[in-house]
Amino acid sequence: MYDLFKAELKRFCLWAGAYAFVQLLVLLFLTRVVDLAQQPWEVYLVIASVHALAGLLLGLYQFGGYRRPNAWLNLLHRPLAHWRIALALHGAGALLLLVAVLAPLLLTAAWQETMTARVLDHRHLLLCLAAWSISLIAYLSGSCAMLLPRRVAAAPLVFLALLPGAYATGVGALALQLLVLGWLLALMIVAFKPDIGSPPRGTAGLLLALPMQLTMWLLLVLAGFGVELLWIAQGSHPNNLAQAPVGSAKEADMADGDDLIIAGLASSKLADAPLWREQAAISDIATFGLAITETPIWNELTNRAPMEFDDEERRIRWVFSHDRGRFVGYRLTDRKAVAELGVDGDGRFASPPLPGPRRMLIGRDTLYEYDSQSQRVLPRLRLPAGEVIAGLEFFGERLAVLGDRALYVYDARALTLDTSLLATRQRLPLPAAAGNLQRVDVMELLDGHLVSFTMTRMRHNGEGPSFQQLVRIDEQGRITDVARRELATGYGPAWIWQTWYLSPVIHAVLPAARALFSPYQPGHTRSPPPRPPMVPAIAGALLLLSLLAALLHVRRTALSLPERLAWSLACAVVGLPALMALRLIVPPRETLPPLATAQNSPA
Amino acid sequence: MSDHAIETRALSKRFGSKLALNHLDLQVPRGGIHAIVGANGAGKSTLFRILLGFLAPTAGDTCILGRDSQRLTPEDRGRIGFVNEEHTLPGWMTVQAITAAQRRLYRRWSQPLFDEVLGHYHILPEQQIGELSRGERAGFNLALALAQGPELLVLDEPTLGLDVVAKRAFLEALMYSNTSDDCTVIYCSHQMDEIERVADNLIILEQGQLRNMSPPEEFCARVSHWVADIPFKGPDPRTVPGLLQLQRLDGLHHFLVLDQDEGFADFLRASGARSINSMPVGLDRAVNGFLAQNHAAPAAA
Repeated sequence: MYDLFKAELKRFCLWAGAYAFVQLLVLLFLTRVVDLAQQPWEVYLVIASVHALAGLLLGLYQFGGYRRPNAWLNLLHRPLAHWRIALALHGAGALLLLVAVLAPLLLTAAWQETMTARVLDHRHLLLCLAAWSISLIAYLSGSCAMLLPRRVAAAPLVFLALLPGAYATGVGALALQLLVLGWLLALMIVAFKPDIGSPPRGTAGLLLALPMQLTMWLLLVLAGFGVELLWIAQGSHPNNLAQAPVGSAKEADMADGDDLIIAGLASSKLADAPLWREQAAISDIATFGLAITETPIWNELTNRAPMEFDDEERRIRWVFSHDRGRFVGYRLTDRKAVAELGVDGDGRFASPPLPGPRRMLIGRDTLYEYDSQSQRVLPRLRLPAGEVIAGLEFFGERLAVLGDRALYVYDARALTLDTSLLATRQRLPLPAAAGNLQRVDVMELLDGHLVSFTMTRMRHNGEGPSFQQLVRIDEQGRITDVARRELATGYGPAWIWQTWYLSPVIHAVLPAARALFSPYQPGHTRSPPPRPPMVPAIAGALLLLSLLAALLHVRRTALSLPERLAWSLACAVVGLPALMALRLIVPPRETLPPLATAQNSPA
Repeated sequence: MSDHAIETRALSKRFGSKLALNHLDLQVPRGGIHAIVGANGAGKSTLFRILLGFLAPTAGDTCILGRDSQRLTPEDRGRIGFVNEEHTLPGWMTVQAITAAQRRLYRRWSQPLFDEVLGHYHILPEQQIGELSRGERAGFNLALALAQGPELLVLDEPTLGLDVVAKRAFLEALMYSNTSDDCTVIYCSHQMDEIERVADNLIILEQGQLRNMSPPEEFCARVSHWVADIPFKGPDPRTVPGLLQLQRLDGLHHFLVLDQDEGFADFLRASGARSINSMPVGLDRAVNGFLAQNHAAPAAA
């Protein structure tokens, strides 16, 4: 086993060394021009994608070579258990990726920690580990794709496709990656067998059957996406018309604030409505939206946005350190460390703050203000317990803070008068989940505000409503419903709920899996509208058809009775994706023609 | 312990619409060198892959060294050597590294035998496999397989693509190792001269079925070559008993026939032959004639 491990190391050691060297050069160059520890999420996604591609190619190439019938026979026909051969080869691959992917990242991190004043937290070391873990997942996906029969080879790749969509972060992200690694490792072990042309059967078959059904569901969804692209190309897609139809969600999304409020007021029966329409045409309307869909979490692996801001007057860059719970400053002139910046001195922040406008620092439920003169950070407002800040906007003399449950209005003048916490002047509950909020438009009235909530986000896939709600709130905080209008999406129910009725079970399970090990985030909340009766009817018909087709198919296969029952049940519950997976994993049994007699009998 | 090194019962394997093995019943006794011949597509490689558990049969049972082929343990595999025509070895490894690894892996490893077989080649321990010629790789592969001390050694067209010198070295290495004294060798080849030299038993597969199993000389004795001077057209081939091949050269009819005695001369005389000559044939001619009988040919041929 050890000999195989060594042999495989030798096979790729030059390539791994070259990859590590090139990566180190690139990283060292990048560290000269940017702080790699404070990049936005997209940068880390690109780096992770490169390592994932490297891992995938290694897996495909390494086992693509062994997959040839004679090479496979030569590899497995030896007095060594198959799982030991598998572990020896994959262990070598994992070590090679460690050298190629992890080592340069750690070296760069070590350089940054010891040679610069930049911030390096423990989470950055975990981020390096995550890069290795992602490359391992891709590597195992590639090897499994090679070890499984061609017709089901795409199944392990579904993890790579779905993983970037997971909400988990920090140690949770690593835990999720570990789960995926464990799954792929188990799948690889059961696929690593002499008869490479047949998929794993029995209980081990579950390791393939579940990702295969996800793959099929994803294919169906992608097919729908392909149709949507054709729809867009054809020119009649509701979101790509030259002019959005009157009364549509698209029109509401794109409208100027005054036009939107005027359109919303059209159906209002209130006596003040005509007056407000006239006022809207000449007023300044503040328009803003859900700016922070995901707030920073302690020890998250990547940044939603750079966790730093510059004090231009003092020429100091303040970078937030998760380990210290404070900002760490270094001079922009000579890159030397100068000080730390905590809450009201050296107090630890309650949550990692995101730099915002006007030297505001946005914590999870608290808004802080940085004062350059005194070099102090003070809390200026705090939302009620359990609520999360999802955006803020200064307009006139007001400050609007968008929480995940309500909109708050404060007197912005108080920010310059003293340093105490601002008092809430008005609180206006959101008409639906914050995750569905597309935009908020606020018009100042003589006594209060007229607020328009446009709830159209996620309307395209049944996860969100499509309406505009106009509300008036006076200075005393009294709320009056002004108008509500439904906004046409341009899609029919059969289009909106297509991902649901293709498989209600997968549609329910996937979001749960996506949120695994993830903290609550305002942008992830949803207020799905009720489904029209035709949608469950379509889903029921598809489930029934899948069951009937499965019953017909399993009769022609070599499956045992329990396996037939399990597959039929899966098709009845999961639907079309399970049926497609069944047909690919379990082809009809091979049958023989009647015994052909030889023309010349054997000697 | 089973008396057979290899045993198949009603073994069939279907690939799409093609039947690679067709209800094959084969019992290969232990000991000796058994040659398996057949045209391309006769099912030889499919048979080996099923025997070694790398392919599931469509129907039927297979045993190798008395064990179910589909349930071979690592210990079972240690008793079976296998050499294929590609001589698949890791090209980035050195000869000594592979040898050391194999020595640690096989408990019955015989270093003297390995050295003896490798002595037929000019191979240096520090050479990389990628640097070896095809013939050297074949010899090294054979040395590895023999030194493992297998009870059964399967050689699947091991001399394919080798030049005459390399081929001779390979055969000498195999024959002088006295492997067949305590090991059953299955030798699959299209080279009849090789089979004639090494095989104790000749197994002919055709279209997935067993067509012959006997010592090569017995098989040769069953095939005879008759030359007859028959004026005009000669007999209708469909009426010629045991006909394998019929050719007309220089006005003479050449009949290659199976299982015919002197009575065939009477048949030829009755067909108008003025003179008749009978002669034995070599294994190459006999097997070729035997296999060509049912070989695919253009409709116009």
